[in-house]
Amino acid sequence: MFLVETGIIAKREVARDMFVISMEAPEIAASVRAGQFVNLGWSRGPLLRRPFSVYRVDGDRIEIVLKAVGEGTAQLLATSLGDRLSCLGPLGHGFGISTGPKSVALISGGLGVAPMPLAAREARSLGIRVSWIHGARSADDLCSETDGDEVVWATDDGSRGFRGTAVAAAPDTDLVLACGPNRMLAAVADRWPDALVAVETYMGCGTGVCLGCAVPLKRGGYDRACKEGPVYRAADVDWASLPSHLHYAVMP
Amino acid sequence: MSVAIGGLTLRGPVLAASGTFGYGTEVPLLQRRALGGMVSKGIFLRPREGTPPPRIAETPSGMLNAIGLQGPGVEGLIRDYAPRWAEWDFPVFVNINGETAAEYGELAARLDGVPGVSGFEINISCPNVEQGGLYFGNDPRAASAVTEAVRRRTKLPVWVKLTPMVTDIGVIARAVEAAGADALCAINTFVGMSIDLNAYRPRLSFRTGGLSGPAIRPLALHLAHQAARAVRIPVIGVGGIERAEDALEFLVAGCSAVQVGTATFVNPRAIAEVHDGIAAFLSSKGMAELSDLPRYLPRD
Repeated sequence: MFLVETGIIAKREVARDMFVISMEAPEIAASVRAGQFVNLGWSRGPLLRRPFSVYRVDGDRIEIVLKAVGEGTAQLLATSLGDRLSCLGPLGHGFGISTGPKSVALISGGLGVAPMPLAAREARSLGIRVSWIHGARSADDLCSETDGDEVVWATDDGSRGFRGTAVAAAPDTDLVLACGPNRMLAAVADRWPDALVAVETYMGCGTGVCLGCAVPLKRGGYDRACKEGPVYRAADVDWASLPSHLHYAVMP
Repeated sequence: MSVAIGGLTLRGPVLAASGTFGYGTEVPLLQRRALGGMVSKGIFLRPREGTPPPRIAETPSGMLNAIGLQGPGVEGLIRDYAPRWAEWDFPVFVNINGETAAEYGELAARLDGVPGVSGFEINISCPNVEQGGLYFGNDPRAASAVTEAVRRRTKLPVWVKLTPMVTDIGVIARAVEAAGADALCAINTFVGMSIDLNAYRPRLSFRTGGLSGPAIRPLALHLAHQAARAVRIPVIGVGGIERAEDALEFLVAGCSAVQVGTATFVNPRAIAEVHDGIAAFLSSKGMAELSDLPRYLPRD
């Protein structure tokens, strides 16, 4: 885990209102695995840091993807290039992709695309064939950047690709990795119990001490999205007890 | 910058607050050199699952939490954590909880003598099942009964963490002092609430939560000061401390040491920065020791 003082050095729009921002974080770039996240803080920001999956790594840079879903992300998107950011990471356990499977499906909904480019890179480096399945409400909401040997689009309104969910559009593969709204991940669990899914929760510390990011487990009890997670075997999560989506707080 | 707190000398005046530092094993080492001590996550006799999510909600300059004292129970703590504490160069206090005064006593008796356990911080903000769920900490007799129950079962230092949800903190402070507390920690979180305007219901599944963070700092400072005025035993100030200046306010207002909590979520170096900032302040004012710091503590 590293604490890096950095700043936003580039920003690009990859879907309607969805942006990728880059920052220098050499130690994190060198060690992050797909599915791990960083916790970002900035002066005059909200009290708590905000967690983001690492989207892509480019040399000493890491990238994250975000939308203005609340006050914190709105502030982050409004910051200027060069403004200072404090970046803590890499945090949590990633997908842990290893040799064995011949094919992997990377299934994402909306912002759930976040861990997928890194997952694609890791899978490909192990000789695994990558199917990239990405869904959103409408064509404009689809993340334009892809990284798969095969790319499948899905939209709720049918404006691009498959009409329906990314889960319904996905082919069967040896390994399934998914990220998106929790109700989408519950659907993944129904179809592929052994899929590895990255969940989203509210988070306090990001380092395992506050127990705020509780994930209810099928075997009973809770563990921590920031420490044991955020990646889980899909069938291990008690989806009925995990809030199906987050109501992002907009602070006054 | 060592400080004496009820028979125990701490190497520095800054401690990690309960619930924000886990059992000390999750946190990167960068905080440790500056730690005067730490207080563990609250523990009950038996393991507890905790409350369903959402457990936290951010509010202006603050954080509400309702974790439900999730934890491994005392046997898990003794097995998994105490042996590691025994190797550390700062004392670890165990934050103890119970549903009856007798449970607190049993917990203290079980932990007394366990290597690695340096003392107790009694959380009196628990509901007392023998009194219909009234909080121990709101009633001087119940607060004093819990303190006595622990005091009788251990020779280790006993601190009592006061709740701010009272009409006169001085009354509770004096009651637990008389019951044998070695020091007070002032204060625990305020009970708060936040509503989700999409769902028309509380943002926390538990409905209410404990408010921490800089939002409570002036309230905490006032209550810590009131507690310090009421008693002769040391008071450890806690509530919204982020920077050395915040800690110095508590120290001037009559506290002997401070705990830093929520700030460490935001700034993993907060404890070290508070510690070093206090030292730098003293040195800039030409003071050799923390005891040279002028105090504002008119006695009641």
